[in-house]
Amino acid sequence: MGILDKEFTESNIIITKFDDLMNWARLSSLWQMTFGLACCAIEMMATSASHYDFDRFGVIPRPSPRQADIIIISGTVTLKMALRIKRLYEQMPEPKYVISMGSCATCGGPYWNHGYHVLKGIDRVIPVDVYVPGCPPRPEALLEGLLKLQEKIRNESHVKKQV
Amino acid sequence: MTTTEILEILKEKFSVEQFEIQSNIGGEILIVPSNVLLDLCFFLRDDERLAFDSLMNLSGVDLADGEKKKLEDGSFEIVGGHLATYYHLHSFKHNHKLTLKVLLPRENPVVPSVERVWRSADWHEREAYDLFGIVFEGHHNLKRILLPDDWDGYPLRKDYKVQEFYQGMKVPY
Amino acid sequence: MISDQLAEILGNKIIAYLITAAIPLFLFLVPYALYAVYAERKVSAFMQDRIGPNRVGPKGLLQTIADILKLIQKEDIIPKSADKPIFVMAPYVVFMGTFAAFAAIPFSSVFIGSNINLGVFYIMAVSSFSVIGILMAGWAGNNKYSLYGAMRSVAQIVSYEVPALLAIVSAVMVIGTLNLNEISEMQTARFWNWWIFGGPLQGIQKFLLIVPMLVAFVIFFVASLAEVNRTPFDIPEAESELVAGFHTEYTGMKFAIFFLAEYGNMFVVSAISTAIFFGGWQSPFGYLGNSFSIPLLVPIEQVFWFLFKSLSLVLVQMWLRWTLPRLRVDQLMAVCWKYLTPYAFVNLVLIGIISLI
Repeated sequence: MGILDKEFTESNIIITKFDDLMNWARLSSLWQMTFGLACCAIEMMATSASHYDFDRFGVIPRPSPRQADIIIISGTVTLKMALRIKRLYEQMPEPKYVISMGSCATCGGPYWNHGYHVLKGIDRVIPVDVYVPGCPPRPEALLEGLLKLQEKIRNESHVKKQV
Repeated sequence: MTTTEILEILKEKFSVEQFEIQSNIGGEILIVPSNVLLDLCFFLRDDERLAFDSLMNLSGVDLADGEKKKLEDGSFEIVGGHLATYYHLHSFKHNHKLTLKVLLPRENPVVPSVERVWRSADWHEREAYDLFGIVFEGHHNLKRILLPDDWDGYPLRKDYKVQEFYQGMKVPY
Repeated sequence: MISDQLAEILGNKIIAYLITAAIPLFLFLVPYALYAVYAERKVSAFMQDRIGPNRVGPKGLLQTIADILKLIQKEDIIPKSADKPIFVMAPYVVFMGTFAAFAAIPFSSVFIGSNINLGVFYIMAVSSFSVIGILMAGWAGNNKYSLYGAMRSVAQIVSYEVPALLAIVSAVMVIGTLNLNEISEMQTARFWNWWIFGGPLQGIQKFLLIVPMLVAFVIFFVASLAEVNRTPFDIPEAESELVAGFHTEYTGMKFAIFFLAEYGNMFVVSAISTAIFFGGWQSPFGYLGNSFSIPLLVPIEQVFWFLFKSLSLVLVQMWLRWTLPRLRVDQLMAVCWKYLTPYAFVNLVLIGIISLI
């Protein structure tokens, strides 16, 4: 199916070149807010290191939430920390994205049954765009999660309403 | 120095009829009542032959030796029985160890704080308070350390039930 | 000249001169900053044994353009309790301090924004403007970490002015003029006439001057690293120390302007070092235009040599950033007041004695 066919069946609007340009800009320079909580943080650091380099995709770590586009929640989220994550998420400027990395951030992980202090999945607090499963996910898995996020951004549109 | 020898030394200053030695796999435990605890700890630290200058660990334990009552929703509640605090002491000077145990009533678990004897007891006692509800008298800042300040209940007790919601977030799976 | 023709068209000399001077400089600054960021990422990557950006365009060349386009799309957040006018003005004040210094930089013998006789003095004075901007940025964010970053930055920049200026004064004492164009013209013909090798003097004075000039250059370079807030002196924007220092609260385009100002500052400082110590726009071994007798080629070659030398110094600054660890703030102050300033004084006296020979 060509681009035109896809658009006409969905909403009668053709994605313009401006949209493509803006989406390309957003997905090529996703600045990451450094937020590592537990073991998955080590895998995230490994992904930023030389063997699997994150910087190739334009992802640089920024310490302040105000300058970040994407927050990768890596590690176990306790209830005490969840309040702070919510605050940091609200401080990020739009358009922002969330990758939930690892089993703990997706669904509570190994602590799902007896972990009284663990939030069973960060999506109970903030909206998540991509879930990366694994305990911890390998750097390749995290990179695939990033690529899926880029694909999601590529199909976004300023013209159509967001779901 | 073994625990029995230490008990001989303690006989000089304290009435040791209430002290008991319990044998355990890792060594022997000296069970003391809570009213002599503070003086005992000062003596253990300051006496030359004993010189216990380091509190290695202070932890609480739920002995769950009370009566288990079943409630309507299938869970159970323990009434009566004891909580305990364990103190693991070590001496750098003489290289010997001692374990103390204090039994506390479950309904009102109050024990004097040994913070002024060994500073490391500060956070250990806050943890025991946080997770068991054991109140340490004389502690300068007894509040929760691991869980958030407005948490309900004491999780490491055997009859703890997870709360449904915490500040709008659903807690159980 | 172009500026006079434009003045006739517009009828107003001031605007015409402004356009001929400011627009080319701005058109130089923006692509330079874009590719300086790209170069920094690639250089840091190669030093850390990884590959920098290579997906975005061919070899990652379009990376910074994507960054800028993304920053334009970002929501512009002004914190509710921030001091709004100061918050909005701060990035522009910092940028102003940088851009105004571009006016006196000698790109070639025919193009210089302003050929004032106080060139060096003017540049050092105007680049201190960014101190106010940084303080405004830290204060207006209403965030105690930004304020810490801003205070430390002010202390650092103001203290490091002293050794920087002392080093420049010691060099200027021998050179005799503050006009950057004249300084560049003095270092003619061959590279051993550059001031860092003793200058276009004859006899024993030249050989005696080599070591003190080298020391003066090193002191000036180190002090200027602190002026620009680059590692090892980047406490004000240190990541692990202060979240992001004085630009914590800035999003989107305002943050991009801070970045632009930082890279512009790096270039200004490198340009001054080049002009004073390394021969400015002089080529190390004569001009191709002269040997092929195409006189038009000579200014272009001069621009090429000037940019080559300045950008090499910028590269050295980036190299230092990714090699050295960061200095703590008390160590930073100690380096300035206990080491650099006394050395600069001794150097000044030494050069003074040598210039009397």
